[in-house]
Amino acid sequence: MTLLPQKIADVIGIDSVFVDIFAAIIGAGLVGTLILIQSALAGPWAKRKITAAFTDRISVNKFGPLGVGIIIPDAVRLISKELIVPEGVDRPAWDIAPIILASSALLGFAVIPMGSLGPVNFQLADPEVGLVFVFAVASIASIALVMAGYASNNKYSFLGGLRAVAQNLAYEIPLIVVGISVVLFSGSLRTSEIVAAQQETLFELGPLAIPSWFAILNPFAFFLFLVANMAEVGRNPFDIPEAPTEIVAGHQTEYSSVYFVLLYLGEFVHIFLGGAIVATVFLGGPAGPVLPGLVWFLIKIWAMFLLTQWLRSAVPRVRIDQLIEIGWKGLLVLAFFNLFLTAGLVGVFAA
Amino acid sequence: MSDWIAIGALAFVAILIPLTMMFVSWLLRPSVPEQGKRATYESGEVPVGSSRAIKFNIQYYMVALLFVVFDVETVFIIPWTVIYEEAVGELGFVEAFAPMALFIGILLFGLAWAWRNGAVSWVRSPRANSQRVD
Repeated sequence: MTLLPQKIADVIGIDSVFVDIFAAIIGAGLVGTLILIQSALAGPWAKRKITAAFTDRISVNKFGPLGVGIIIPDAVRLISKELIVPEGVDRPAWDIAPIILASSALLGFAVIPMGSLGPVNFQLADPEVGLVFVFAVASIASIALVMAGYASNNKYSFLGGLRAVAQNLAYEIPLIVVGISVVLFSGSLRTSEIVAAQQETLFELGPLAIPSWFAILNPFAFFLFLVANMAEVGRNPFDIPEAPTEIVAGHQTEYSSVYFVLLYLGEFVHIFLGGAIVATVFLGGPAGPVLPGLVWFLIKIWAMFLLTQWLRSAVPRVRIDQLIEIGWKGLLVLAFFNLFLTAGLVGVFAA
Repeated sequence: MSDWIAIGALAFVAILIPLTMMFVSWLLRPSVPEQGKRATYESGEVPVGSSRAIKFNIQYYMVALLFVVFDVETVFIIPWTVIYEEAVGELGFVEAFAPMALFIGILLFGLAWAWRNGAVSWVRSPRANSQRVD
């Protein structure tokens, strides 16, 4: 299918590289807006409502249907707070860290196939190295966390930054090794081909045709990937870098005003990016019956968001020493076991 | 159209969005300088010493060193996974599988060695050990 920037360029109709760049920026703006809307819904509203439902409270309900209007006053309130710059911060790094966190998470969506709505296919780019690109971009966030932690001149922030590195290092390898185990099936790193490989019917269950989603084909890998993904996006039970009861707010302690908003925005976009990777690699991307692809894609990433919030309400945090041991002694070994198992099965069937 | 034009465009938009938000906030926000407001947060106490000179656990270095080894390893595994199915068809299962199994096996042997030497177990100082309550 035609990608989004090409579609826009076709609509404009002039064949020139400037039109291509212009169309790419328009397409990127559309995708960026789509993701920002999801984060705006998730941050000030959905997170509160979900947590309230889990803890038997009502939460925001005065402004708009189900209180969804709270997003607007909250956005204005957060943006117009005073920016307090603490003493002794490492100035350029302290300012750049929130920008890196927010933009690196957004950049990952460039290669995600978000399905189609009518004739428009929401995917910006489809390079040959798609899956590697998205993993690479998603892990830039840890640089931002270290910068924020080091530059803040606060001991809690410094510890939070160190913990963020230790956690991302421990869970990056299992995440990638499990993620690429599906490439053994698809034979390509292109995200569109990984999605296409999941569309065949695996078996018929009465009138239902069960598709060969990699989550159904290899549930063990799916489970490992979910766990590693929780650690990668730094959510419960792996929210060690923030750990409010241990180190105040970790790397966020000294941030206020718009910088705080950007850190939070980056985290929410990162959760959605994690959900988008899970959907693309294991849940058939935007595939689904009746509804258009884009709607299914949004349902899948929101399901992943709901899972993070569920775990936040239900699972206690692991300690830092447990985190290191789960990562290096448990997940890493299981990830290689899964790779061997998958390779063995694919090899036996292919031979 | 090249894919990387679109990726570059999203990078541009992704940096523009935070910058715009910062600009809007700069227009809106007040500035009320007060004494003591800018002190770093240390649970209500007066901050003591530099935060960049604190001592931290050696473990952070150990896992970083281990990570470098395994990160380079994944770079070698990715191309193998892409051609694996074709390779099985052309060369047979053992020829396609065994070299990578040996390669990962050596690294897993290294992990087992690091495990035995305590590189992936959390190091506790004697003082921390004496204060444990369990």
